[in-house]
Amino acid sequence: MYDSTPAFALAERVGPLPRATPVASGDLGVRRRRSWAWARTPSAVVGIALTAVVLALAALADVLAPGDPFAPVGPALSAPSSVHLIGTDDLGRDLLSGVIHGIRTSVFVALGVGLIAFPLGVVVGAVAGARGGVVDDVLMRLSEVWQVLPRFFLALMVVALFGPGLDRIVLVLGLTSWALLARIMRAEILSIREREFVDAARALGMSEARILRRHMLPHVMPAAIVFVALLLAQVCLVESSLGFLGLSDPNAISLGYLAAQAQRFLRVAWWMWFFPGVALITIVIGFNLVGDAINDRMRGRL
Amino acid sequence: MMSRVPLAVILVGLVAGACGVTASPSPTGASGRPSGSPSSPPASEAPTGGGGGTLVVAISADPGHLNPAITTSGATHTAAELIFNGLVGLDENLEPVPELAESWTIDNDGAQYTFKLRDGVTWHDGTPFTSADVKFTFEEVLLKLHARTRSSVGPVLDGIDTPDAQTVVFRFKQPYAPLLRQLDVTEAPILPKHIYQGSDPAKNPANAAPVGTGPFAFESYTPDSEIRLKRNDTYWAPALPKLDEVVMRVIPESGSQVIALEAGEVDWIWGVPGPDEARLDADPEVELLRTDRNPGGSNCIMTMSFNFDKPILQDVRVRQAIAHAIDRQQIVDKILFGQGRVATAPISSGIGWAHADDIVLPAFDPTAAMAMLDQAGWKAGADGMRIAAGVTGVADGTPLALDFLHFPTFARYGELLRSELGAVGIELTLEPLEPPVFAETVFTKRDFDTNVISYCNGPDPEIGVRRMFDSAQIGPVPFSNAAGYRDSAVDALFTQAQQTVGNEARGKIYGRIQQTVAAAQPYVWLVETSGVRAYRLPCQGFQPYAQFAEAATCAP
Amino acid sequence: MNGRYLLRRVVQVPPTVLGILVIAFLLVHLAPGDPILALAGANGDEAYYAEMRAKFGLDRPLPEQLAIFVVNLIRFDLGTSYVQGRPAIDVILERLPSTMLLTVSALAVASVVGVALGLFAAGRANRRSDLTVSILTLGLHATPSFWLAQAAVLVLGLWAGWFPISGMTSARTPPAGLGLVVDVAHHLILPVLVLAATEMAVIARLTRVRLLEELSRDYVRTARAKGVSERRVLWRHALPCALIPVVTVIGGRVGHLVAGAVLVEAVFGWPGIGRLLLTSVQSRDLPIVLGILLVIASTVIVANIVTDLIYVRLDPRIRFG
Repeated sequence: MYDSTPAFALAERVGPLPRATPVASGDLGVRRRRSWAWARTPSAVVGIALTAVVLALAALADVLAPGDPFAPVGPALSAPSSVHLIGTDDLGRDLLSGVIHGIRTSVFVALGVGLIAFPLGVVVGAVAGARGGVVDDVLMRLSEVWQVLPRFFLALMVVALFGPGLDRIVLVLGLTSWALLARIMRAEILSIREREFVDAARALGMSEARILRRHMLPHVMPAAIVFVALLLAQVCLVESSLGFLGLSDPNAISLGYLAAQAQRFLRVAWWMWFFPGVALITIVIGFNLVGDAINDRMRGRL
Repeated sequence: MMSRVPLAVILVGLVAGACGVTASPSPTGASGRPSGSPSSPPASEAPTGGGGGTLVVAISADPGHLNPAITTSGATHTAAELIFNGLVGLDENLEPVPELAESWTIDNDGAQYTFKLRDGVTWHDGTPFTSADVKFTFEEVLLKLHARTRSSVGPVLDGIDTPDAQTVVFRFKQPYAPLLRQLDVTEAPILPKHIYQGSDPAKNPANAAPVGTGPFAFESYTPDSEIRLKRNDTYWAPALPKLDEVVMRVIPESGSQVIALEAGEVDWIWGVPGPDEARLDADPEVELLRTDRNPGGSNCIMTMSFNFDKPILQDVRVRQAIAHAIDRQQIVDKILFGQGRVATAPISSGIGWAHADDIVLPAFDPTAAMAMLDQAGWKAGADGMRIAAGVTGVADGTPLALDFLHFPTFARYGELLRSELGAVGIELTLEPLEPPVFAETVFTKRDFDTNVISYCNGPDPEIGVRRMFDSAQIGPVPFSNAAGYRDSAVDALFTQAQQTVGNEARGKIYGRIQQTVAAAQPYVWLVETSGVRAYRLPCQGFQPYAQFAEAATCAP
Repeated sequence: MNGRYLLRRVVQVPPTVLGILVIAFLLVHLAPGDPILALAGANGDEAYYAEMRAKFGLDRPLPEQLAIFVVNLIRFDLGTSYVQGRPAIDVILERLPSTMLLTVSALAVASVVGVALGLFAAGRANRRSDLTVSILTLGLHATPSFWLAQAAVLVLGLWAGWFPISGMTSARTPPAGLGLVVDVAHHLILPVLVLAATEMAVIARLTRVRLLEELSRDYVRTARAKGVSERRVLWRHALPCALIPVVTVIGGRVGHLVAGAVLVEAVFGWPGIGRLLLTSVQSRDLPIVLGILLVIASTVIVANIVTDLIYVRLDPRIRFG
């Protein structure tokens, strides 16, 4: 569920068939979300606000919730109160502290995955699109293989087989997230390869590599940035799903882990279930709205 | 153990079976069973039994197959033991009572056991049960495929004779005391020779549609969903069983099992999660049954092991300091929700005759722990964490940091211990590992500092205690001597206890063993875990263990 | 052109699947963990474990095991399950129908409700009800399915008591015939709702956007100018065009659905291949793990090909090179 097609916005934008190149797809790259114009400002504002809060919580986790989030500090299973704002869990650990540190873990994983997938996807896609021929064929076949097994399964297998740890979660999600980006990049490059300004650069005798770097990449960057914003949202969902299945790093508290703890206490401690989920939804909505907003703005400028 | 994570829950049966000594619902019990014994059912009941309605049982894992003789998997034993019998059963005190064997004599100082089999017992398909079935089951199945029976009985058994159809003789190379506690349906279920003869017992189709002698006969099995058993109309125990049908229903999550019980979807669950216990106790429709026998094994002690291969842990003061730093009552309160008690000796209090009651295990005392660490050369650094300063075999400046391996289901133990050890300056890093990886890492590679294991003592220390200390059991076998503890005097005492007949004499030897190992502290014996079963009225008449539904009825 | 394209796609399937399986084989066999426990249980002696390893060929060198695996695979033999001692393919095929029931139902619900919601929102573009729908779908899309599942259990299962929260049939009275169908349907509702929610959100948003796009096109304006009724414009002209990309996105999400089924099956105790995969990974029942991967990979590939074909069928402008 949380994988290769990143999000609705992306599906709307790049079109439905990243695998094939539709002949009559002249308008594919320049879809604008005209009808959302009225909502653009409010949703962008909400998205940016949510993301800012999330990033601030992640950055300031140690200040806002000092100490070990795993340490029991109060009575077990106490409901939200003025002492423990959103309650405690069965070991008497402060849930707010757990959620804040969990948000930090989510953000850490998301950014880590972005740092791996972004350069990999952009480079592979750009090279495939610009060079064409055999290189293109090989790279695209490769990306297809990566796409056939949904990311969630690969991540689940690797983490379950090799043991949970933040490092391998980031690594496996990063290595399985570049393929679609590469395909988007390739399609974008193809769509501008024969445009006038590229032809002009060629006529001036610029090398293909230079044309790619100086003229083509800046034009396709917006699409990559949008993809990554939406990817981050999906990564948070995958990471928490693994945590829910008991595959989170035992030494770094995460939102999925907290949700899994709640399963046993659904009837006696609703807060253990409720708040980690709300935090997660906030993160994901924030990233999604920011992705959409960037998309709108950059498309508008192009 | 109850679990917190669905994924973990699914495997609970396997986990428990893996670390437990007695797999699954645990030893056969026979209180209230009229096996020629005084406690026959009231005369008012129909002598043929039946009419007890349908019992729906929740089980947490799909068994995969229903042959308890070829595996120690808790999931299979939980689902299949009602279909089979052992030669003997075990009563509530874990003492042997007649089952397929009506009586027995012990000769040659305990080196020869002669069993007289019950008359007129038939398999569910109508074939008569004879001594040939017993001999075949042991020789071709149990001693080859049942991991525990093979490794405990196998090496000392000289041969099995069947002088006639109703007599079986076990001859041993030397006196062997524990045998009678290893013949129940968990350790030695008897299979029909006429069905398994000439086939690979691990692949026989009857494993999915078994034929036994037990109170209930197999009816159908839908993998990962349900197993239906029907009443054995020709059961050897008069007037039993009363139930007409037993349905085992796979519900992987313990919380979901409780909900299903409350909703009336099921009548019996094997374990009540701590947080739900009070609510179920208050429910007039639901009765609770407390027992030390868990579906994963009996008399289990949650045990922290120290790896003796690691220089840091070779100093007994460090091991004792760690023991002092742990608040075991916290584990009972917060992890077990009262379903257990602090362990007081290396052998479980459930084996009364072997359990030592004159031992003082290290009490919770962080101050003493810190003093001992100081003495041992581990000085507190600026942040309170301890660093080596003059520790033998450890470079100065080494931090006192240990890893802690555990099944994912036991994560709570790690989380609590990490924070308690952290308070005295010891850094614990948790490594949750699935059972197959845990077994390989701990017992084959011996690549760990500390871990936690649910060591189930079983009905006899020979079964589940010896393996923890025997120097011959260090090495690749799962759930053996995790610490790597070696003491030839202890080895000799275990052998002596194995060959001594009589609980009292054996108990004295086990008492000496416990004094020695408690002082050496290769393990921290944390808590004895107990289980709480729950059932819905009008069902009643249960026992907490193996043939738990033999005398039960759901008729109003 | 299309025939040749199809052929090329189909010919590529076996090597792709084989490649995936070989990688997966190496992955699971190189991972730490000894399947011997699942095979045999605990507390045996060393010779016993050696015997069991030999029995399942686990004592041979890895390249040899791989070769045997590949050869058997070509004969549709996935090997014998370590835990169950039966052919892995049988074990998997037993569970497949319940997962298919779950995923196909979810896909159907998500498609119907999603398109309906999208249609509804597009018809009321920029009004309050449109905003409500878009906030709802935005939220659903961002909600992790395990959290939604817990909410469904808590609210619809426990508090309201409308639906059973675990399993596929009721245990007490085994119904037959029509009663069985009703019983399974009753158990199916919660898992399907949870599994369908995310997909439904995606489809609704996509439908809405595409519809609005189509409605702003020239041909729609022409039709309106010619006096064609608004209803007819929407249903006969705009919707079919708008649904083309929607259909293909639905096809492309089959893999996600199967992944989602793992979580949903775990929460609701649904006896499908998702739960089988989880338990098999934990117990290192490698033949089952590889077999399930084979099923998933093939499903995704076939779904992709079918989607492409539908796309071509629906939109005459598209040709594949």
